[in-house]
Amino acid sequence: MATINLVDLKKNYGSVPAVKGINLSVKDGELIVLVGPSGCGKSTLLRMVAGLESVTSGRIEIAGRDVVKAEPAERDIAMVFQNYALYPHMTVRGNLEYGLKNRGTPREEIDRRVKEAADILEIGPMLDRKPRQLSGGQRQRVAMGRAIVREPAAFLFDEPLSNLDAKLRVQMRVEIRKLQRRLKTTSLYVTHDQLEAMTLADRLVVMNNGLVEQLGTPTEVYDRPATLFVAGFIGSPPMNLLPVSALDAASGFDILGLPPGTDVVGIRPDHLTLESSDEPSLALPATVELLEPIGGESHLHARLKNGDHAVILSVPGRPEIEEGATITIHVKPADLHPFNRESGRRTDTAVANP
Amino acid sequence: MVENRPFLSFLTHLVLIIGVVLVAFPVYLAFVASTHGEGDFLSGLVPLWPGPHLIENYRLMLTEGISTAGAPPLWIMLSNSLIIAIIIAVGKIAISLLSAYAIVFFKFRFRLIAFWIIFITLMLPVEVRIIPTFKVVADLGLLNSYVGLTLPLIASATATFLFRQFFLTIPDELMEAARVDGAGPMKFFRDILLPLSRTNIAALFVILFIYGWVQYLWPMLVTTDSRYYTVVMGIKRLAATADAEPRWHLVMAAVTLAMLPPVLVVIFMQRLFIKGLVETEK
Amino acid sequence: MQTKRTIFPNKLLPYILLAPQLAVTLIFFIWPAMQAVKSSFEREDPFGFKTTFIWFDNYKRLFADPSYINAAGNTFVFAISVTVFSMSLSLLLAVAVNRVLRTNRLYTTLLVWPYAVAPVVVGILWWFMFNPSIGIAPYLLRGLGVSWNHRIDGSQAMLLVIIAASWKQISYNFLFFVAGLQSVPQSLTEAAAIDGAGPFKRFWTIVFPLLSPTTFFLLIVNINYAMFDTFGIIDATTAGGPAQATNILVYKVYADGFLGLNIGSSAAQSVVLMLIVIVLTAIQFRYVERRVQY
Repeated sequence: MATINLVDLKKNYGSVPAVKGINLSVKDGELIVLVGPSGCGKSTLLRMVAGLESVTSGRIEIAGRDVVKAEPAERDIAMVFQNYALYPHMTVRGNLEYGLKNRGTPREEIDRRVKEAADILEIGPMLDRKPRQLSGGQRQRVAMGRAIVREPAAFLFDEPLSNLDAKLRVQMRVEIRKLQRRLKTTSLYVTHDQLEAMTLADRLVVMNNGLVEQLGTPTEVYDRPATLFVAGFIGSPPMNLLPVSALDAASGFDILGLPPGTDVVGIRPDHLTLESSDEPSLALPATVELLEPIGGESHLHARLKNGDHAVILSVPGRPEIEEGATITIHVKPADLHPFNRESGRRTDTAVANP
Repeated sequence: MVENRPFLSFLTHLVLIIGVVLVAFPVYLAFVASTHGEGDFLSGLVPLWPGPHLIENYRLMLTEGISTAGAPPLWIMLSNSLIIAIIIAVGKIAISLLSAYAIVFFKFRFRLIAFWIIFITLMLPVEVRIIPTFKVVADLGLLNSYVGLTLPLIASATATFLFRQFFLTIPDELMEAARVDGAGPMKFFRDILLPLSRTNIAALFVILFIYGWVQYLWPMLVTTDSRYYTVVMGIKRLAATADAEPRWHLVMAAVTLAMLPPVLVVIFMQRLFIKGLVETEK
Repeated sequence: MQTKRTIFPNKLLPYILLAPQLAVTLIFFIWPAMQAVKSSFEREDPFGFKTTFIWFDNYKRLFADPSYINAAGNTFVFAISVTVFSMSLSLLLAVAVNRVLRTNRLYTTLLVWPYAVAPVVVGILWWFMFNPSIGIAPYLLRGLGVSWNHRIDGSQAMLLVIIAASWKQISYNFLFFVAGLQSVPQSLTEAAAIDGAGPFKRFWTIVFPLLSPTTFFLLIVNINYAMFDTFGIIDATTAGGPAQATNILVYKVYADGFLGLNIGSSAAQSVVLMLIVIVLTAIQFRYVERRVQY
């Protein structure tokens, strides 16, 4: 059990900065997810914590100890890799034991831990098989097991579910969450999948371009995205981002009173409705381009009459609308997220992480 | 693809059968010759069917050799060839594994230079630098020794490149996982890299064993003591008994014995052989 | 040059790992090569007491020497003939093997083993076949009215070494052609078949052009082989004779240096050969680089 502190952590590849100064405190037992598009520096950051990537400047503290100069093995961490990185020539048991043997753990202790991990992950019957005889999900479990047996101060997950098919990914996601709750091991988890990030995280770090865009709980980040980038990245389908001018001609625009400096507004697809409510709302005329029923709800692709902007609505059920029909879209002023394009930030209030 | 052209199929097999006969015939003749007796070659044409002297000829060659031609018993030369081929193959594999490991898994100042020095060996086959190399070996006092027969042939750019190529295909994460698991460089090499390279090592061994076995010019230069003769160079001495016609039946018995070990290796390890051959040349 | 994403931090260890390879290379490759370059600019007196630096005299004399020009010509004829002869035969066999289904393993096994036969043994085998007094080939040729004696007839001797050297190389070329043919996508030949192309047309318009990387690669390898790896074959069949008719460059280096003890000339010849290898290797690697991009 331990905390992880990153202090002004930077990494340059030659003269190209990959991580541009990250500060982060992970509390004991907390699961923090680093999420962002590929190339945003999240994996580099994780690998720096693991000791697999050198640090250009800054400090990394694990359990209060500065580990910047320490070998990966000396950092008391365990890592789960995207491609599992199981030793192909060793049995499952061999894979689990390898790290313990290297540390000179006594035989009885190794056996106890392997058995325990095998029980938790239900891989007991596979202990004597080779990795290639296992399915993707089973390999994933073994990779988790290899981390668990070490009983480390922290788990580091590097996109551990990316190689699984969609169904298995959801299932393993739940298991990882449950496991982490049960073991209460401090964890850093990297993913590019925002849904995975939302469902797993105690707190979420949205990264872009080597910097933290926003740090907060999943609900905080979803409800009040701090920047345009976060607004566009978190949520599916993504938030509609429209220039203020698109709303100009809308009836009810005068009631808005957007904060000064606002030139872009964001609207979640499920905040755009086809029916007007009792509360005052904006009415935007639009043309339907495509209706995608996806089961319990439908995605409606429409184009605003004013300014020709494409928008997506997420509407319940399967509305009877012809493609090409003209509709009126309603949105409550309270559901508008005001941004400034140049600064990329919210304009209404100060946000959690500047 | 389903295609039914009986004539083409017939032609295909005909071509292959002719090819096989063409490839096998010289060896068949040699074998046939090795089963005949002294007088059977006076008729003016080599015999085409096996004769009755097989065991007798082979026993004579294996145990006694032909002392007049300065050729020791074949079993000595065969075991020399075996020893030398194995030392060369193992030596090449060992030093190539180590240097490929250094080049792929470490960064150090003279890495590129080291790579080029190894690369250069490709451009200096022993045939083109015979005399100065011979001089070096002579100066080091390595004539007539296993060391002199093998060591100068042990550097290998192709083997190094093969292992380098293979190491580059090993996922980065495997080494990272091992490091997180507390394995240092030599432990990683021994516990992970060597076991993973097994097939490549075996394939390369087949190719290099053959390479070592068929060496001719080098052993001929550095051995004058018949205790160190290899079978391939020994045969030449047998065949070249200057004035007289060679004793064909005995020469061909030696030829057959000299061919047999590497040919058997190719036939029985065909899969590894093909893998080794095709991959070392990439 | 590529390494792993993460590397081991050790500073000294890589040098230790490289030491054996580098030591052997420096002592037995680089140093002798430098010696060869050095003595190619020197003349040694007959007793070996004194050497004088003579610039390019050895080279000048070499290129003015008719026997060297003759050896270069022989090498050219020999290398081209072996390459063309062996590659065509191998391609034919490889195409045939690629057409048969069940028996292709068997045919492959029967065709690849000559790779393991030592060049000098290859030489002895063919020397025996063509032995003027008892060989089967002269016997058959006599029936056709051809009198064979490669001990006297230079062209016949050249033909003999070409046949022997090609025979040895068939298995090698065959394996690479088979590998090349197997990498031609089945869908392409199927598409051509649907377009109405018969087997021969398909081969020449689709398969053969796609084989060109393999063909080019083998071209270089075969030239290399014929120039440098055929020492044993020449030594066992003709020893360069008759009257220098089959003396090729690599054989001449040996003959002049070891048998003739002409160190300066032999060294100059070595240097010329090294330059040839360097050019061939460079061509081969440029091409390999290009292939990687595909």
